[in-house]
Amino acid sequence: MLRLISIESFKLFRKLKSWLGPLLILVLVLVAFPLSIDISQYDLEKFYFSIIVVSLLMTAFVATEGMFEEDFEDGSLEQEFLIEKDFYKLALCKIIVYVLLIGVPIAFIGSIFSFANGVAIGSFPKVFLLLSLSNLLLFNLFAFGNSLSINKGAMLGVLSSLPLALPIIILLGRAIRSVQFGDGFSEMIALMAGVGLIVSALMPLIISAALKTHID
Amino acid sequence: MTLLSAQKISYSINDKKLFHGLSFNVQNGEALHVKGSNGSGKSTLLRILLGITPPSKGKIERSNPDLKISYLGHKNAIKNYLTPAQNLELLFNESELGIALKWLRELDLSSVQEELTSNLSFGQKKKLALIRVLAKPQELIVLDEPFVGLDQDASQILNNFLVNQLSNQVSLIFTSHIHPDVECKVLDLSNNSA
Repeated sequence: MLRLISIESFKLFRKLKSWLGPLLILVLVLVAFPLSIDISQYDLEKFYFSIIVVSLLMTAFVATEGMFEEDFEDGSLEQEFLIEKDFYKLALCKIIVYVLLIGVPIAFIGSIFSFANGVAIGSFPKVFLLLSLSNLLLFNLFAFGNSLSINKGAMLGVLSSLPLALPIIILLGRAIRSVQFGDGFSEMIALMAGVGLIVSALMPLIISAALKTHID
Repeated sequence: MTLLSAQKISYSINDKKLFHGLSFNVQNGEALHVKGSNGSGKSTLLRILLGITPPSKGKIERSNPDLKISYLGHKNAIKNYLTPAQNLELLFNESELGIALKWLRELDLSSVQEELTSNLSFGQKKKLALIRVLAKPQELIVLDEPFVGLDQDASQILNNFLVNQLSNQVSLIFTSHIHPDVECKVLDLSNNSA
């Protein structure tokens, strides 16, 4: 399992476009947004979080686009199947690596931008935790979407799984309000962590079954 | 001892039967050459034997459910954005890497081991992919058109390797339009569709 994680990390690190692209998109959106509106007319800090949430969704969407496609195209999935007989470990390791190498940096950048736009510096760890957990959920979800249509262009499957991201966005919105008003934050974090753990344990099973149907 | 046994296996795609009622055994140290015209189902048969594709009918029995298999199909399973040396590092652990690098030199790839794999020729990529099988032979070797793209020297190296493995009781199943210099049973799929 550790070897698989180190292999997937090495592969992702070598694919500059896959990890740097989503980070740059996030920075671009977060920098461009305040520049594109007349700040004097609006209270930016009230809705800047919403922009971070949408950026998070978009970058998770882009980051997971080619998660399994390359391994399917070059035959690595078949080789993995001969060794492991399923794809549970592979899916789990890929999600872990993507969350750690892309999701966590995205959460970090998002947190920096949030306090740069009026959120109290003391809330930084809360926001970071919140965004990291959201990314864990979103990456699991979009990894599933990716596995659904790897033979017809992975983006199609990711798009089809987009409606499933709506409950996560609603949950994140509630959690953000709890940071802003300092009310019920621990409960929200506990809920998101619980859902995150369950999804992380179950989603690789579903992904494994989806990938198996593609190599049949 | 029978390593793998196929019992009345059939496979159809969209009501077209590729093959039907195939039964055969592969013993330890035995080679099976699957022959047939293009589209006769050779690659599909290999994938069925590997357990990747389920047969439409019939079953495959293995002497050991955890049978260790080396496989090289049409897809090379190598990463174009890595160098050959990095590809080998992904495939092999530290103790196996030395043997893999030895094969890299043997197959005349050491001069390109630090170049991006995407810059290699078709034949060089095929040689690199073959190292997966050469450096880590298992109980059963399954190869789909292994000689395609190889130059004469590499073909000879592969041929010698296969002969050597068969003498070590490793079994071999392969498809090839080129008949290699190994003693083998032949399964011809050309006249098997109905």
